[in-house]
Amino acid sequence: MSARRATLGDGSGTRRAAASPAGRAPGGEEALAEQVRQRVARQFGRSLHIRTLDTGSCAVCEQEIRLLGAPHYDLHRLGFFFTPAPRHADLLMVTGPMIRAFDVAARKTYQAMPGPKLVVATGACALGGVYPADAFVHGAVDEILPVDVWIPGCPPSPLALLQGLLVAVDRLAEKVSGLTFTAGEAARPPAPMAGAPPARPGEAPAREAES
Amino acid sequence: MPLWFARGLRRGIVTTRYPARPDSSAADLPTPPAFRAGMLDHRLADRLVAVCPSQALHRDGDVLVFDVGRCTTCGRCQEAAPGAVRPSGEFELAGTSRAQFVKKIRLLPEAGR
Repeated sequence: MSARRATLGDGSGTRRAAASPAGRAPGGEEALAEQVRQRVARQFGRSLHIRTLDTGSCAVCEQEIRLLGAPHYDLHRLGFFFTPAPRHADLLMVTGPMIRAFDVAARKTYQAMPGPKLVVATGACALGGVYPADAFVHGAVDEILPVDVWIPGCPPSPLALLQGLLVAVDRLAEKVSGLTFTAGEAARPPAPMAGAPPARPGEAPAREAES
Repeated sequence: MPLWFARGLRRGIVTTRYPARPDSSAADLPTPPAFRAGMLDHRLADRLVAVCPSQALHRDGDVLVFDVGRCTTCGRCQEAAPGAVRPSGEFELAGTSRAQFVKKIRLLPEAGR
């Protein structure tokens, strides 16, 4: 996977290595990764255009994506825009279980995008949840495309999509690796439980400060 | 009535301030389950695995493997074992590697052995 990313020349794989404390590379590599990360941030300008790609979804993910433009979520305030053409897109938002009949169209869409480019797998289908691989579907988007960010949910709510997009452009840190999904144990001291709203401010200010 | 709607009527602004501030509607979202590991034995785990429609759960010896990425938050596991499984309340689930989504939940050891 990382080799494939390197050949694509988008540098996103390296950027991620710098972002995650677990996969810290020694010395020079780390500095290089930081350089690449800054270059990606500069090139995207923290504002980017999104092309959605439906690879056989039931269209509920699309409904939630459409809601991102509604007044309550107002995607544009964060610098994200939808574009009808992959040639104008920086980020490919893929929904559905990647049906095999869509192979050529998916590859052409990805190739038509200018680099650096990001791929976001959206929804449980795209992550391999609902349809196992068979004669008709690949079962997951990362079978075909080099995915950078995964957004689970069936469907992911607009808030979850917003968080995923902000993770994709490094404006928020991902949280899921720190979650244990166990209850009643002291894994996380103030475990937000049963119906309690996860009342937690976004981590944007800290990330903004470091760059 | 959601708070944002009332706020919007009062001030004429309906837009959420997420991510700078938490969004009040987040409390109503369906969220993946959190498991009470102290209450999960092999039999209950196998029942949860059987009831999951999206292959998000499987049992590997003494460990229940939960793939959050595959979870559709349908709530069937919570219905099957209301005491041991509850909503986690987490909706900010985007991840940057597929392996981050696979969670291992240690089960109670088998009594017979």
